[in-house]
Amino acid sequence: MTRAERYRLANGLAFLSPWLVGFVVFLLVPVVLSFYYSFCDYSLLQAPAFIGGGNYRELAADPVFWKSLTNTLVYAAMALPAGLLVSLGLALLLNQRVPGQSVYRTIIFLPSLVPTVASAMLWLWLFNAKLGLINTLLETAPFRAAIGGLNGLLGLLRLPPLQTPIGWLTDPTWALPALALMSLWGVGHTVVIYLAGLQDVPRELYESAELDGAGAWRRLRNVTIPMISPVIFFNLIMAIIGTLQVFAVPYIMTGGGPARATYFFTMYLYDNAFTYLKMGYASAMAWIQLLLVLALTAVAFWSSKRWVHYQSK
Amino acid sequence: MRIVRALVLAALAAVAGYLLLFGGRTGAGPGRGRVVVRYWEKWTGKEAEQMMQIVDDFNNTVGKEKGIYVQYLSMSNVNQKTLVATAAGVPPDVAGLWDTQVAQFAAIDAVEPLDDLAARHGITADYYKPVYWEGCRYDGRLWALVSTPAAVALHYNKRLFLERAKELRAAGLDPDRPPRTLDELDRYATALDTFTELPGGKKQIARSGYLPMEPGWYLAYTGYWFGADLYDEKTGRLKLDDPKMVRAFEWVKNYSVRLGKDSMTEFRSGFGQFASSQNPFLVGTVAMEQQGPWMANYIENLKPSMNRWRFPKEKEKGLPLASRQANYEWGAAPFPAADPALGDVTVAPFDTLMIPKGARHKEEAFEFIAYVNRQDVSEKLNALHCKNSPLRKVSDAFLRSHPNPYIAVFERLATSPNARGVPPVPIWPEVADELGVAAQRVYLLEAEPAQALADAQKRLQEKLDEFRKRQRIRAGGERE
Repeated sequence: MTRAERYRLANGLAFLSPWLVGFVVFLLVPVVLSFYYSFCDYSLLQAPAFIGGGNYRELAADPVFWKSLTNTLVYAAMALPAGLLVSLGLALLLNQRVPGQSVYRTIIFLPSLVPTVASAMLWLWLFNAKLGLINTLLETAPFRAAIGGLNGLLGLLRLPPLQTPIGWLTDPTWALPALALMSLWGVGHTVVIYLAGLQDVPRELYESAELDGAGAWRRLRNVTIPMISPVIFFNLIMAIIGTLQVFAVPYIMTGGGPARATYFFTMYLYDNAFTYLKMGYASAMAWIQLLLVLALTAVAFWSSKRWVHYQSK
Repeated sequence: MRIVRALVLAALAAVAGYLLLFGGRTGAGPGRGRVVVRYWEKWTGKEAEQMMQIVDDFNNTVGKEKGIYVQYLSMSNVNQKTLVATAAGVPPDVAGLWDTQVAQFAAIDAVEPLDDLAARHGITADYYKPVYWEGCRYDGRLWALVSTPAAVALHYNKRLFLERAKELRAAGLDPDRPPRTLDELDRYATALDTFTELPGGKKQIARSGYLPMEPGWYLAYTGYWFGADLYDEKTGRLKLDDPKMVRAFEWVKNYSVRLGKDSMTEFRSGFGQFASSQNPFLVGTVAMEQQGPWMANYIENLKPSMNRWRFPKEKEKGLPLASRQANYEWGAAPFPAADPALGDVTVAPFDTLMIPKGARHKEEAFEFIAYVNRQDVSEKLNALHCKNSPLRKVSDAFLRSHPNPYIAVFERLATSPNARGVPPVPIWPEVADELGVAAQRVYLLEAEPAQALADAQKRLQEKLDEFRKRQRIRAGGERE
């Protein structure tokens, strides 16, 4: 290495050092340590004592761990597809050349800018069983008629009728779906990414599809979806990570209740770390969560070979 | 370009140099020349201002004389921040924590034992009301002292009692007094319930006489009013599924069954926040509830008309206590026990002052803690916070001039042999959370009381046994 090269290297490292030091001190070291702590009894105050797989064995036998994991997976199964579909639908609508297009786009994006706590407070009121706007709407004539019809159908299927007013956040049956419904409030970011993808679809593909006699649905299915499949894939990965780490909104809105119906994995992890002072146990949970996210992401990558199409290929 | 860069760098260096030489540092300010005791506390708003008065009094008197300056810092999540700072080796000298943390922090060596320091200052078991003294101890040692204590009592709305006098009398009850037995409380509650008829003949709860889950802060301790113990210290076993606890949770469940789970849930969803003028007790949608002595302050701040029911406040001065009480739309009385032989049962929670492990100025920190526990100072602080006194000796002036006209009720409850606190369980926060969930399962009719409590007992006893096992491994006495 010449003197000039050494000088350039030193310069490069110097400019890189703020990030490098931050990465090592605030990410790499804590990640490595948390792996070690997951095999320890550690309360922050006492030195970590190695206990082998004790934390993992205790987790396997802990019903609250399984409850929180089940809640998280059920929530992900509702919020993830709903979020992807609604945001794709909105992006398709917002991609239409209509007067006031930018206004509509702004309106859809605005909720994403509302701070989490403010959104949670707003939805607490919307979901209020007695005074909430949603239940007030459900009490209006058209909705009452629809619910009546639905209950008739449920009766035929010998299923219990839908009781109103719905205790969105106070009834264990409805609390999790209510939070999944609320998660659609913040789809603005995903919509923007879809919009960028949609605008990247070459016009000539639509034109040739039209010449071949393809209608709107065929164009969507055979041109739009394949062409934006890398974007859908990206949003899917981000949604897997996001939904499996859900914390702030349920923490504010329900505190995990009623009767742990909305007690998520990350909430139990947080409680173990900072309320019950079990850092080792919480670290074991964090690693299980990481493995879960990695496994689901790997499945998504494996399946992507069949449905994600890149333009260069 | 080089000149500009050199100038910018020189300016940055000058600012950095100035901050290094003259910037803020420990020891600066009014505490210069004194030992600075850092005191972290949970209170914000008015309660923080009131504690600041005590800190200022200390700094201007005993602190000045002994060369100590207390630096007060109010913060949220004080327990977590104290723990992290202690682990990092830079703890505060005094931490204002909760009673639920005494056993938890003591068991993991997070706080300093105070036996010797307290004895040197003449603070012994005789000085304190037993329930608070015992709550400060764990494993035979003293780990905390009290800043502000409380006792839980029945609060009832006299105006609503009068409004429903006819119904109460028809049920054989006296509208001019609160219930004295649990059976009476249930009958008062039923007579005070009112409903609105909706189109279609459906009934909606308009007002509830009593709801065990409003505010529901002490549901985990409901068993105390049924004579239950939550923990056996001798055997180290939790007693969450004790038959008396099951009876207590059956009683909670009965309210859901009587009012209808869905109607009750809908009714409760219309309640405002506790610290707001929409508080259900203040707006009269709940006629009776369990609360501590602080309620008088909240009423004074949020709905002062309830503290001026008959005449203006100024006229209260110099009046005997019974006449003062008549001016309040609400009253406080011991919450009735299931067994009439159990007199004056209460939960007695309290705020603590502890010295975190590794605090730099332990002696000076305890000077401040001892000052807060001086009878005159403790009475000043607790009158400001509208709470009872933790001390055995209580002055007449404290009782006479206290902002809560029912303070004698709380003093009586706190002194009672049936006053109970947090059991000395090192994993109590986890136990309390689990009991809270068990109570929810019961009042949402998701589980039978015996089942919910058996589940809680099984899970928590395993957790407690595991905690003890690991402590033994840590001490080198056992292998995993």
